[in-house]
Amino acid sequence: MVFNSTPFVLFFVVVFFVYWFPLKRTTKAQNVFLLVASYFFYGYADWKMLPLLMVATAVFYFLGIGIGRSESEKKASWLRTLGVVLGVGLLLYFKYLNFFIESFANLFERIGLHTNWHSFNIIMPLGVSFFTFRLISYVLDVYNGEVEPTRDVVEFATYIAFFPCILSGPIDKPKFISQIHQKREFNYEQAVDGLRQILWGLFKKLVVADNCAVYVDQVFSSYTDQSGSALFFAAILCSFQVYADFSGYSDMAIGVGKLLGFSITRNFNNPFFALNVADFWRRWHMSLTSWITDYVFTPLNFQFRRWGKVGMIMAILINMVVVGLWHGANWTFVVFGLYHGLLFVPLVLSGAFMKKDQLRTNRIGLPALKDLGGMLLTFTLVSIGVIIFRAESIGQALEFFSRIFSVGFFSVGIAGAGIPRRTCLFVAIMLVIEWMQRNQEHGLVLKGVKSVFVRYVCYFGILSFVFMYGVFNETFVYFQF
Amino acid sequence: MEKREIIERLTAIFCEIFSDNTLVLNDDMTAADVENWDSLTHMMMITKVEEVFGIRFKLRELNKLKNVGDLCQIIMDKLS
Repeated sequence: MVFNSTPFVLFFVVVFFVYWFPLKRTTKAQNVFLLVASYFFYGYADWKMLPLLMVATAVFYFLGIGIGRSESEKKASWLRTLGVVLGVGLLLYFKYLNFFIESFANLFERIGLHTNWHSFNIIMPLGVSFFTFRLISYVLDVYNGEVEPTRDVVEFATYIAFFPCILSGPIDKPKFISQIHQKREFNYEQAVDGLRQILWGLFKKLVVADNCAVYVDQVFSSYTDQSGSALFFAAILCSFQVYADFSGYSDMAIGVGKLLGFSITRNFNNPFFALNVADFWRRWHMSLTSWITDYVFTPLNFQFRRWGKVGMIMAILINMVVVGLWHGANWTFVVFGLYHGLLFVPLVLSGAFMKKDQLRTNRIGLPALKDLGGMLLTFTLVSIGVIIFRAESIGQALEFFSRIFSVGFFSVGIAGAGIPRRTCLFVAIMLVIEWMQRNQEHGLVLKGVKSVFVRYVCYFGILSFVFMYGVFNETFVYFQF
Repeated sequence: MEKREIIERLTAIFCEIFSDNTLVLNDDMTAADVENWDSLTHMMMITKVEEVFGIRFKLRELNKLKNVGDLCQIIMDKLS
């Protein structure tokens, strides 16, 4: 049940009215209802894994209470470690076990050792990367004193299974539980802003991402028959596709949260306006990078602090490999993470990593020339990474790269289908709006536009694009993670 | 070591790490009050504090720091 589907609209209309009308007065009843709705939402997608989600939630709930009650540091530390091992174990078993078995079997085979290892028939639960990260951060934050362990199992379970975020994030930190605990009043402004953000998300997902996907899928599936320019162009469009797909989903999730009175953490901040790769990762999938910064990078950076910049580079490389592997069990993701980690090295050595430059504009409101150069370079480097990200194997990624440069760049033209002009127009509209709205939370915050008429023209313009040019295929790139 | 002396040394560290010679420290000061104070410069500042005062922190101790006052207190505890 994805956000852009009829079942979800029906589901959410019922949730919205029951939540804000009969249950308006009691937060506890609202929370129980939200939990039931969240389990229904999850079960609708993957009912067989619902017991796993419930058991994991119960275990971590008691671990949190156990850590909070521990009188000795040793016991608290032990329970914290148990939580981390269980959380990581859950992820390793469902997501990475077969990958490790196959990788080691291949490695032994290459050095002449025959193994009888075979992979298991494991079905990966939907959203496992997202809910296990919430579970792990909970025990860590309770242990570190960042949050008090909650006694209310409904609040905790709702935080873990909160339906707008369970399948594809954003990954809110455990402080989000305080929002579930508080009484929520219906806020008209917040709800309307939620609707605007959903509309902006629909535009990015259905109009930009899914139209890009048509071209990108065609080129990637027949890349051996394509010209260098077509492959290069597909890599660029693929960057826009992944961004529009995932940030579109995040906007819809945040918008749905606003309609229910919640403030879900921001996930993207115009990453294509980043001036360097470090800046890019501060703007891309921010809830994941924030999570990994807190629980992986900072402890590593702390351990390696005596080694200065070398220590920082080591922490970044490990951190980025974890970011890469989080996306999936494939060596392509390891290389993707390592590639991005290596892009940080010159930034750390030059000191640019520490600087947070503000975007500068020229007299007509466009990016200053130097900043534009930084943006284009960053975008090109990111697009190269997207080829690794998208490829099914490292060999395929290498072949893709080599064909960009070895096959005549303009020999066959840009793909058999020609340049997807309409898709390019959609991407351009998205980029222009995001540039104009770069200091706003999302593309349709039109506070600066005083004319109501103009605002509604904008909303209906975007809405008509969604209905006229949207591709309603109901798949999201990040669901597989 | 007296708190006044700790604050003096901390001020010198903060000015160097956060590239701001006008910083005046007080107990309630937090990362939100200093422009360049983020997770990276925080770690650099902590490393410098360890070096200058000859002490070692645990990560969990750092996680509990809420402001400059807490940092002074933990330094005093470690030196006493």
